[in-house]
Amino acid sequence: MTSTIALSIFRYVLIAALVAFAGFPIYWMASTALSANSELYSTGQVPWPQLQKLPELISAMAGVPIGRWLFNTFLIACGTTVLSLLLGSLAGYALSRFRFRGRGLVGFLLFMTQVVPEALILVPLYAMFITLGLLNNLMGLVLANVGFSLPVAAFILKSAMDSIPYEIEESAIIDNCPRFGILSMIVLPLIMPSVAAAAVIAFFAGWNEFLFASTFLMDRSLWPTSVGLASFIGQYETPLSAVMGAALLFSVPAIVFFLLIQRQIVAGLTAGAVKG
Amino acid sequence: MTPGSSKWLSGRGKAIAPYVFILPPLAYLAVFMFWPLARQMWLSLTDTRLTNPNGGSFVGLENYQWLFDDPEFYTTLNVTVLYAAVTVVLGVALGTISALAINRPFPGRPLARAIMLFGWAVPNVAASLIWLWMYNERSGVFNDMLASLGLDRVSWLTSTHMAFSSIVAVTVWQVAPFVMLVVLAALQSVPDEVREAARVDGADALSVFRAVTLPHILPSLQLVSLLVAVWSIRRFDIIYLLTGGGPIGSTSTLVVKIRQTAFESHELGVASAYGAIGLILALLVAFVHFVTDRRRQKWMAQ
Repeated sequence: MTSTIALSIFRYVLIAALVAFAGFPIYWMASTALSANSELYSTGQVPWPQLQKLPELISAMAGVPIGRWLFNTFLIACGTTVLSLLLGSLAGYALSRFRFRGRGLVGFLLFMTQVVPEALILVPLYAMFITLGLLNNLMGLVLANVGFSLPVAAFILKSAMDSIPYEIEESAIIDNCPRFGILSMIVLPLIMPSVAAAAVIAFFAGWNEFLFASTFLMDRSLWPTSVGLASFIGQYETPLSAVMGAALLFSVPAIVFFLLIQRQIVAGLTAGAVKG
Repeated sequence: MTPGSSKWLSGRGKAIAPYVFILPPLAYLAVFMFWPLARQMWLSLTDTRLTNPNGGSFVGLENYQWLFDDPEFYTTLNVTVLYAAVTVVLGVALGTISALAINRPFPGRPLARAIMLFGWAVPNVAASLIWLWMYNERSGVFNDMLASLGLDRVSWLTSTHMAFSSIVAVTVWQVAPFVMLVVLAALQSVPDEVREAARVDGADALSVFRAVTLPHILPSLQLVSLLVAVWSIRRFDIIYLLTGGGPIGSTSTLVVKIRQTAFESHELGVASAYGAIGLILALLVAFVHFVTDRRRQKWMAQ
């Protein structure tokens, strides 16, 4: 009996330690933002958030173009989502509903994109974007992002389509309904949860992206939040509380959505690595 | 539902239809993924510089020769492989422990579970900023804690013997929650009765884990190890922003090196040669996964 008690005490201590490790950085981010102290680098900080400092934080953040950055981030994320879903649903439908010559190769190529580091195509894309006039252009950035999120969307939608019977489509086909219509009017509405998961994954891939954005965008007015926040590193003019406030605003949507549909995201991210 | 058991396609339509669907996404990837990949292989054989990225002449294997003669290359390769290996071991271990710890209900479980996912959900750049501040040598929280305990301050990110571990800690913080979610899902398939029966028979927790739980979650552990390894080879933001690959290359992985060689030293040819090595490494991991997966499936089928 004593050993079961000892075991459950050990379990709670372990859980407490794990929660502390996972949660402390976020707690610290909030508490730094709300310390609203411009001397943080020299004095250290009060270890708890001070809500009464909120007005100070807001006025400190006036110097940070966070609205502009979040707007750019939002545009990039939306573009990445729309294009990934559009092309990903076509690929997913083809892989799920047809057996055709080259199907195995297509599956392999899609899988390949999942192991390719983004940095590998950074230089060729840069050269290509100069030629196409897509450098320093949000559309160019979206086009680069979609290369990586399209296959993820394709895998998620394919495995969802595999699980719905094709008899439902059959009658529409007999009625000579165009196949793109079948995909968008019959198949996609049936797998709405997976479409949502694919959309959220693509959206936050675009939302978080840093490598391409920091390389392809030179104009400050085009910067998304990731690049803007990174520009604070090594410069000490902006109060740290404002930096952390901006980082918090940038993080909250991601945290909310990831927590809301965690199961589907995990299923989606693992789908590409499993064959069949 | 086997694809193509589809009786509903006949004649000419059958031959064309799948390609109508697969062509647009494939064409897209050809332009924005596979062409650049091929192009970067070609660039690695040229002396192209950033100032004229569409010029540059063929120099054969000169860039590779240069790479193999450069001790920094071996440092980078070592750091990359070590980083991937350590993050897989620690990330999968911590994620599995977390999953086992919160698998059974306890008061406050939903909240604990939600907080444990934070590291995974926070955008990389935001995560980098907060860890950079916590690691700050002069007034970061870690050194403040050490100071209040009367201990010496640590150069978390600027000393060669600490920087690598500091980066690994942030990475584990980010990937362990993902591992946890995958393992939690796999634990659903472990039959409770078998576990209970073993426990009643007097088996201790560890042997129950080894005999009952582990076989059920092993396929998931293998899958998630592959993903974590691939992500570690691909990861750029965290390392670049926290240490920039330094000090003295002690945290310089291939992708950080590619970006720096290309956009700070302007040597696109050499950067592309680094890229080719990175591609080989990533394919190697995928291949190992493929082979072990095959073998496991055969073994399970017996």
